[in-house]
Amino acid sequence: MSFESALATLIVHSDGETQHLQVDVGTCVRDALDTTAIRVRAACGGTGSCGACVIKYLSGAVNPATLAEYQKLSASERQEGLRLACQIRVVGDTEWLLEHPAHVSSWKSIAPEDLIPVEGQLPELQHFIYGLAVDLGTTHIRISLWNRKTGQRIANRSGFNPQSVFGADVLNRLNAALLTDNRSLEMAQLARQAVLEALRDILARDIGEVSPMLKEIGSVIIAGNTAMLALLSLNGANQLLNPDNWQQPIDCLPLGHDTWQSEWNLPNAKIKLEPALAGFVGSDLTADIIGTRLTEAAGASLLVDIGTNTELALWDGHRLLVTSVPGGPAFEGVGIRNGMSAEPGAIYRVERLDDGHSLKLSTLGAATARGFCGSGLIDMIAILLESGTLKPSGRFSQNPGPDGFLAEAENPKTAVTPGDVDALQRAKAAIATAMETLLTNSGLTWESIERLCVCGTFGRHLNIRHAQAIGLLPSLNNDKIELYANATLAGCEKALLSDGISLFDHYAALTQVINLSYVPGYDDLYINNLRLRPIEMHSVINT
Amino acid sequence: MLDDIINHYNEAVFDTDKEAAFEVIDNALAEGYTPEDIIFKVVIPAINEMMAIITKDPDANLAQHFMTAQIASEVTEKMLLQFKSPPEIVGRVVIGTAVGDLHSLGKRIVSGCLKAMMVEIIDLGVNVAAERFVDEAIAHDAQVIAISAMMVHSATGENGCRKVRKLLNEQGLESRIKIAVGGAPFRFDPELYKTVGADAWAADGISAAKTIVDLIHEVNAK
Repeated sequence: MSFESALATLIVHSDGETQHLQVDVGTCVRDALDTTAIRVRAACGGTGSCGACVIKYLSGAVNPATLAEYQKLSASERQEGLRLACQIRVVGDTEWLLEHPAHVSSWKSIAPEDLIPVEGQLPELQHFIYGLAVDLGTTHIRISLWNRKTGQRIANRSGFNPQSVFGADVLNRLNAALLTDNRSLEMAQLARQAVLEALRDILARDIGEVSPMLKEIGSVIIAGNTAMLALLSLNGANQLLNPDNWQQPIDCLPLGHDTWQSEWNLPNAKIKLEPALAGFVGSDLTADIIGTRLTEAAGASLLVDIGTNTELALWDGHRLLVTSVPGGPAFEGVGIRNGMSAEPGAIYRVERLDDGHSLKLSTLGAATARGFCGSGLIDMIAILLESGTLKPSGRFSQNPGPDGFLAEAENPKTAVTPGDVDALQRAKAAIATAMETLLTNSGLTWESIERLCVCGTFGRHLNIRHAQAIGLLPSLNNDKIELYANATLAGCEKALLSDGISLFDHYAALTQVINLSYVPGYDDLYINNLRLRPIEMHSVINT
Repeated sequence: MLDDIINHYNEAVFDTDKEAAFEVIDNALAEGYTPEDIIFKVVIPAINEMMAIITKDPDANLAQHFMTAQIASEVTEKMLLQFKSPPEIVGRVVIGTAVGDLHSLGKRIVSGCLKAMMVEIIDLGVNVAAERFVDEAIAHDAQVIAISAMMVHSATGENGCRKVRKLLNEQGLESRIKIAVGGAPFRFDPELYKTVGADAWAADGISAAKTIVDLIHEVNAK
């Protein structure tokens, strides 16, 4: 028996498009829409003071009009069924028409349940009390704006890193940037402008003032993988292609940050790019360690951030062993025929129905299936393995042919091919082997792990049992496995609220970097982990 | 029956089931087959079979290549220990990844298959300087230098294969030592191996073993 809060369906039509959202009863309609592509107009933080978020009632159960709505809407408007989206709370299933949506933006709010609550020792501040946290990911950029005096998160945004047009993975992007100085400048500006654009979107929609507010921002903390930091700062990208530099920290901090203050129009902000731990381990991992409070458990804790580049940290009670593996792109849809990131239409969950063979696909935004995101692909492979359609070798027991195996009849976007299985096998083997290697290097076994923190691309959608069945995650008790959607952002946020001491420097001093390419026996373990089967929980003891 | 052994072994290799493959081999030894029989009549034909399948099947699965080569290599190592007299070596190969490249797995497939085909492997590891490739090839009297490069900049860089070619040329070794290359960039551009100065390339690790054996024969025939 679970005590989850009751759910209701919120349906919103706008410009010929329809959003079907499953929301908790009590959810605010504006907040729900802010996580989607259909957003209401807004110029205040949802206080009802700007009156921009007008939306028309069609049917269903919501709260009665509030005082703010009586002030902002005329009697005849209220008669027509117009309401302010920021004032509406969902009571039961309900349907709305948004006639004048906000201009289409690539920036969306992160769903509240995907955020980690963050507390810090609030700095004593008189001026410039606002702060900006930035998680500069290879695929996504996430930011949040804070009132550092009250410790309150004002708003957040998530969107795609526009540098992706120059390559989905880190290596392609570095190669592109190194072609010409103009190209690297162009890529740096793309990322810088994206951050600024997201920030302006927050200020315009959640505060209602842009230029004056930019002057009130006193601190910006940016974390990312080494390549993203180098591309942003225009410093260090050339060193990153030489493996001799990978073991040491690489200076990829901006050569002069005055230019940024003016470029971003943040005259009073201390802009801090948190330094990477090594050539291939970025400050996003440090942020994860802070965000998940990895070092706070009594026992050993392991963190794995699965992304385009997968980074890992093992806390053994005294030090942090860190490393990275190129295991992630498959889980972000790269190299998978129908792979995609977690966008509307992505199959994020697959279940086998009671009849034993028909499949139920769940897509983001309840849209028509357009492909698999990481969690959906793992479900799919695990189910095919369970039913014997796939063998542990990764071969189909019956060749599905060039069209692949269709999860949903007559929808080619739901096909899984032998090549997809291969890419997934290699990705999961790299991640499993990296975890085992860290354990071996610490003299630990799986039994001694108290917490396994899984961050990154899967968010909270990952089916742990399926991830265990194919050998991506170890078969630990479920209560030891924690899923995080936005740990890197949370780490930056915590640092933002801890003025004076640098949390990043504190944790960086505890780390020891391991380059798996130089670990004897890594390849043997990797090949051993390629089969689709659970991780051998005792194997690490013998190596 | 040898045919049964061959069938069961091939089935296990096809399923990349290492435990099952070893079980077949152990049973064969118990039945009185010699380690020599197992290598020459079971293991090597199985690799040839895999090559044939992979050439026909463009969708062949890379994870399966790794596992297949690993099984071949482990079975061979175990059998070689039990050979009555040292096996006759077909030739020697120095293998490694190009400077700037840490992707070690491609060359493992090649090494695993070559080992099973009675080629002696001198594995120089990853991020290998051109000078070292040449020095080690001379020191071990190797017929082939095999260079694996998985990234465009390590495949085409001045200090990779191009430099190995330059050194061989300067030292007048080009008829004695051949260069084979492999890795993703060579698949994207099938003429790239010529541009960087290699003598041959292969699209995957298992067929690379055959390419290299052909180069060895070419050198030995002179």
